[in-house]
Amino acid sequence: MMKVIIINKEEWTKGLERLYDSFRLFGPVKQDEFHNFRQLTKGELPDLKLLNTRLSAKSMVYPQSEKMFEFTLDENRDEHHILKEIRKDYSPQAVIGIRPCDARAFLLVKANFDTPENKDPYWIKSYESNTFIGYACNTPCPTCFCTTAGCGPFHEQGLDLLFVDAGDHYLLKILTQKGENLIIAAGWSSKEHSDDARQEMETLRRAAEEKITARISTDKLKDKKTTELFEALFWEEVAFACINCGTCTYVCPTCWCFDIQDETLGLSGIRMRNWDSCMYPLFTVHGSGHNPRSTKMQRVRQRFMHKLKYYVDKYGDGIQCVGCGRCIRHCPVNIDIRKVCDLMNNFEA
Amino acid sequence: MGIEPGRLHFSWISSAESTKFVDVVNDVTAGVKALGPNKTFLKTEAKVA
Amino acid sequence: MLAYIEKIKEISRRLLQEGNVDMVIGFRRGTVPMMNEPCFVKTPEDVDNLVWDSNCGINLANYLTNRQEKIGIVAKGCDSRNIVTHIIENKIKRDQLVIIGVPCKGMIDRHKIQAMFETEIEHVTELDDKITIKGVGFEKTLEKKDVLQDNCALCIHRNPVIHDELVGDLVDEQKNIDRYKDIRNIETLSPEEKWRYFDNLLSACIRCYACRNACPLCYCPTCFVDESRPQWVGKSIDPIDIRTFHFLRAYHCAGRCTDCGSCERACPMGIKVRLFTKKLEKDCLELFDWEAGMTLEKRPPLDTYRPDDPDDFIK
Ligand code: SF4
Ligand code: SF4
Ligand code: SF4
Ligand code: SF4
Repeated sequence: MMKVIIINKEEWTKGLERLYDSFRLFGPVKQDEFHNFRQLTKGELPDLKLLNTRLSAKSMVYPQSEKMFEFTLDENRDEHHILKEIRKDYSPQAVIGIRPCDARAFLLVKANFDTPENKDPYWIKSYESNTFIGYACNTPCPTCFCTTAGCGPFHEQGLDLLFVDAGDHYLLKILTQKGENLIIAAGWSSKEHSDDARQEMETLRRAAEEKITARISTDKLKDKKTTELFEALFWEEVAFACINCGTCTYVCPTCWCFDIQDETLGLSGIRMRNWDSCMYPLFTVHGSGHNPRSTKMQRVRQRFMHKLKYYVDKYGDGIQCVGCGRCIRHCPVNIDIRKVCDLMNNFEA
Repeated sequence: MGIEPGRLHFSWISSAESTKFVDVVNDVTAGVKALGPNKTFLKTEAKVA
Repeated sequence: MLAYIEKIKEISRRLLQEGNVDMVIGFRRGTVPMMNEPCFVKTPEDVDNLVWDSNCGINLANYLTNRQEKIGIVAKGCDSRNIVTHIIENKIKRDQLVIIGVPCKGMIDRHKIQAMFETEIEHVTELDDKITIKGVGFEKTLEKKDVLQDNCALCIHRNPVIHDELVGDLVDEQKNIDRYKDIRNIETLSPEEKWRYFDNLLSACIRCYACRNACPLCYCPTCFVDESRPQWVGKSIDPIDIRTFHFLRAYHCAGRCTDCGSCERACPMGIKVRLFTKKLEKDCLELFDWEAGMTLEKRPPLDTYRPDDPDDFIK
């Protein structure tokens, strides 16, 4: 059985300070009006007075813009026109304060970046360099619906450690060997675990789960006929307000699409990849100029069909959404995936 | 937006005013040379991860 | 507000019943506090979905671009000015439209209000000039005038400039408003300070383009940042590319922007993008005595030439 340990807040801070020696440390930091993840400088502590970060933790593994290769166009050099891999820092990295939804999202994304046939080296190396120290949610938001999206405020999948604020102390659950190693590096005593601590954590978990009232139903999605859902009449109405920005896909922890770009400066250049969005017309435009997804309705439909139908059918692991609610909170025109999911789940041709 | 005022110049020069054109071009190039290369609005290699 | 809603429904129902329009574009109740969703209504029965309150900040002129139907459109002051601009720029025809004018008292700033509280807001209700906010463990009543969107607090054209129907009496326009204090402050900075100022302003931008796409002016079939042959601007989040996007977009809005605030309202990162467009608005007012979208009779300054145009910048 997994250990739950108690750490008082003073010990916690001291431990975090010790971690700088063995990890590159990342955590939520508040800038202006919201929190986002960034690397913490030595002595800097993560700001844990947050609901959730504005952007997900996705960029901890998969940055919005990431260099892949460099090259030279200088024909006097032997290696001209050859793509050379760029050296990157994959030394151990620890993300403190990642919410359970964002951690589980990595597992959904993994289904795309790390398969028996295809392995994305950048994503995998970066992912593997991470230790995720999850921060359980005592106060879920009204827009969170994680408990019906295969996740939850104390969900453990994808995490190495899970901690929760219990007033004057933290309760910390050790979930993996990586987590165990981090405890040692932090110098926290892993002895103090007891049934009481486990009980206390259980109580907090139940209380948090009860606070989540937003729900979706996904039970019938896999039995719907793809073609019928595709042709459904509700899409026009669903899509009307959408302005086809990239907000929903960029704030989402599970959206994985990217676009590859070369940039040159004089004779040297780099190849990089940037997050892309199925909401952009450019996403599918062909070299000929033809665009198979030329209308807004088609693009909106693609986003929801991918998350709530194609993914469901292809991976048999639920929907491609962890219920973090970010796309609902930040969509400028209030397109709500919960509503669309219900339309799809209840659809009758 | 943070570009020095001396970098941008507008003039009316008629196609008949060849000497004015030469003078203006000389003045502007001298002015810009005095400012030195633009160090701000300049893209080097993309600053990304 | 309630009176407005009834009137909007009544007019919309009549227009649809009499077959004067194929659809009415308005707002329906949102699924989260302080958000309404732009929507269309095509039958008299569906008219009951329409709402109006202080959460209708999205500019509906954005939904008219190149539409072919006959449309009834609910329009507050700024929307009506963007409709004028759309008509001048041939994005919609005047005789396709029945403009349902809404004399506006300002929209509230959802970002500003959420930032006042530590947990997510669950309910927001409004009564006259009071906004009541509720969430877990808090309830607070705010004066609407203290939480208006920045552009609404400075608005001097609340009444629709063009309309076929009106949902209420015209409201008093705000007087003695200093619209450009922030712009003047930036103007006094040195080039280096300006550079740093804009670096900071844009540091959180994720290039999602919500600002551009929420704007009725940004209807180009392919935006210059999306162009790939030739590619004018890099596509990563390199700060120079982000800056280029914002400055060029603002120039494309010069003499056209109505300061409706849709761009700023839409931004998920809370970036004050109106600072760019407002500088150009100020210049257009000072140099050409021009305010966008006030009349169908005149062409905007950047697509006309007059011998007496100011030319002090030419040496
Ligand atoms: S659903 Fe909302 S956030 Fe997503 S592209 Fe449309 S307008 Fe933008
Ligand atoms: S689709 Fe929306 S709710 Fe689901 S994981 Fe993505 S951002 Fe969160
Ligand atoms: S909406 Fe905000 S984050 Fe998105 S591109 Fe515009 S300024 Fe940047
Ligand atoms: S730039 Fe912003 S304020 Fe101006 S018209 Fe467009 S959306 Fe409105």
